[in-house]
Amino acid sequence: MSTLKFIMEHNQRVLHLSLEHIGIVGLSLIIATIIGVPLGIMITKYKNLAKPVLNTANVLMTIPSIALFGIMLPVLAMVNLGLGKVPAIIALVLYSQLPIIRNTYTAIKNVPPAVVDAGKGMGMNRWQLLKEIEIPISIPLILAGLRTAAVMNIGIAAIASYIGAGGLGVLIQQGINRVYPEMILSGAILVSLLAIIVDGGMGLFEYLVTPKGIKIQRKLVQWESSLKN
Amino acid sequence: MIKYDSVTKIFGVGKEAVTALDNINFTIKKGEIVVFLGPSGCGKTTTMRLTNKLDTITRGSISINGESIAEINEVKLRQRMGYVIQEIGLFPNKTIAQNIAVVPRLLGWPRHKINNRVDELLHMTNLEPGLYRNRYPAELSGGQQQRVGVARGLAADPEIMLMDEPFGAIDPINREQIQDEFLRVQSKIKKTIAFVSHDIHEAIKMGDKIALFDNGKLIQYDVPEVILTRPKNKFVADFVGADRALKVLGLMRVSEVTNFKPQNIIAGTDNAQTAHKFLEENDFRYGIVVDNNKPLGYVTLKNLKYENGLVIDVVENYPHFEEKSSSLRDVLSYMLMHTLMTFCVVDDNGDFIGTVSYNDIQRAVKKSYSDEAEKDWKEV
Repeated sequence: MSTLKFIMEHNQRVLHLSLEHIGIVGLSLIIATIIGVPLGIMITKYKNLAKPVLNTANVLMTIPSIALFGIMLPVLAMVNLGLGKVPAIIALVLYSQLPIIRNTYTAIKNVPPAVVDAGKGMGMNRWQLLKEIEIPISIPLILAGLRTAAVMNIGIAAIASYIGAGGLGVLIQQGINRVYPEMILSGAILVSLLAIIVDGGMGLFEYLVTPKGIKIQRKLVQWESSLKN
Repeated sequence: MIKYDSVTKIFGVGKEAVTALDNINFTIKKGEIVVFLGPSGCGKTTTMRLTNKLDTITRGSISINGESIAEINEVKLRQRMGYVIQEIGLFPNKTIAQNIAVVPRLLGWPRHKINNRVDELLHMTNLEPGLYRNRYPAELSGGQQQRVGVARGLAADPEIMLMDEPFGAIDPINREQIQDEFLRVQSKIKKTIAFVSHDIHEAIKMGDKIALFDNGKLIQYDVPEVILTRPKNKFVADFVGADRALKVLGLMRVSEVTNFKPQNIIAGTDNAQTAHKFLEENDFRYGIVVDNNKPLGYVTLKNLKYENGLVIDVVENYPHFEEKSSSLRDVLSYMLMHTLMTFCVVDDNGDFIGTVSYNDIQRAVKKSYSDEAEKDWKEV
C-alpha cells in the first residue's frame, strides 16, 4: 500500500521515468529491427554468412549486461559518450540482434520450398518474391522475435540506469542507496508491469498483422491435430 | 513450339559431376501435350526446369518459336509460361483470386481485366467464383487447390504450360476427374504443354506424345500407341508394363471395331418360330433384337425353341449399351463381368448402329502389334 502511495506522491517523476524507459527500449527496438531483419533475410540468401552472423549474435547475447556497459565505457568515452542514453541504446540494440536475426532467418528458411519454387517459376523477381510471399508468410515468427527482444530489453534497460541512462531503473538504484523499500518496489513493479503490458501488446499486434490466410491455415492445422488426439 | 537441341545438363563439377541429361533432342509442336515420362531421376523434371531457366543448361540449346531461351530474360521468359507443380505451391497469404492474379498483375494488366480473367478461369476449372474468389488456399480441398494451381498457370493465357506432375498429389478418383476436365479445357485452348509424369496411365491418357526418359537419356519419343505397341527396347517394354495390350485398348474407341452390318438381326415383332428357323438356317447361335432402330436385347436358340408367341416375349436384356466413344478397355471389362461376347453399339440418341464382339477386339489388338517390333527388342 505504501508503495502505491509512493507512486501517487511522486507521479510526475514516475511518469517521466516510465516514458524515458519506454523511449530507450522503443528506440533501440526500432534500430535493432532496421539492422536485424534485413540481416536475417540476407543470410538466407548468402548462406555462407549465416553461421558467422548467428554465432556473433549468440556471443553478444551471452555477455552479461553490466559487463557490456563496462566494456563499452572506455571505447565510447573516446567520443565523450561513455555514459548516458547512447551506450544504453547501443547495448540494447546488440542484445536484440540474436532473437531478431534468428527468428527472421528461421522464418524465411521455413517458407515451404514449393511456394518459393512456384513464385520463381511464375516469373517473380527476388524482391517481389520477398515482398509478396516470403515476408508475409514469415511475419508471425519475425514479430515473435521482436517481442522477445522487447521484453528482454525492458529488463536490461533497468540496469542501464547505472550508467546514467535514466528510466525506471533509477528508482531501484536510488532506493537501494537510500534503503527505501517503497521506492525499490515501485521501480521493480513498474518495470515488471511494463514488460507484461508490452508482451501482451506485441502479441496482439502480431495477431493483427498476420495475414488472414495464414491464420486460417494455422487454425485448421490445430483443429486437425486436435482431432487426432 | 519448343525445340530441344543437344541439351546436356551436368550437375556439380570435377569428380562429383553428375550427368542429369545427355544430349537430348526433340521438339514439342504447337498445341501438343508432350508427357515427359520415366522413373525418378531419369531427367524428366530437369528437362522441364531447363525450359524456364530454373536450372541452367550446360550444353546445347532450347528454343521457343525459333528464339533461343538464352536470349530471353529469365523473369520475362517465366511470365510467358504457365507453371504448375505437384506440391501446388499456392501462396497461403493470398486469396484464391489473388493467387490466380499473380502473373497478370506482374504483367501490369488493368484491374477490371484481371478480375474478369479470374472469374473466367474459376468457371473453367469448375469452381464457383462467388464462392471461392475470396477464400484462402487452406480452406480448399487438395483437388480444389490443384484446380486453382492450374487456373493460376493459365492466368496470363501463356502459349506454353509447364506442368510438373500436376495431378500427382490428388487421390485417384479426383485425379481422373481433374484430368478429364483439363483435357476438355485443353481441347479448346490448345496450349503447348510439357507435362512431367511418372505414371504410364496418365501419360497415355494426357499425352499427344510421350517422351520416355531413362538415366538422363531420351529413349523413345512417339505417340502413345506406338510406345505401347512398338516399344523400342526392353526398358520401354518393361516400363509400359506387361499389360500394355490392355493399355492399348484404353486408347482405342468402340467405333474403331464396330461391326456396322451384323447379319443376325431380328425384329421384336417377329414370330418366335420364324426367328428360330432364321437363326438355325444361318448357323447363328443368337440374334440381336432391334425394334424401331432401338436395340432391345438378344435371343438364343434355346430361348426361341419352345416359344410360340413373339420374339419380344423371350428377349434377354443387355445390361448395358456401348457408345461409340467408349474405350475398348471398358467394353472388355463389361464382357468379362457379364460373360457376354457381344454388345450393341448405340449412337447419342440410343439408336442401334452395330455390334462389338470379343473377336473384333482381339483382331484389333493383334493388328496393332507388329511382329517385327516384338522381335526387334528381344534381340537387343
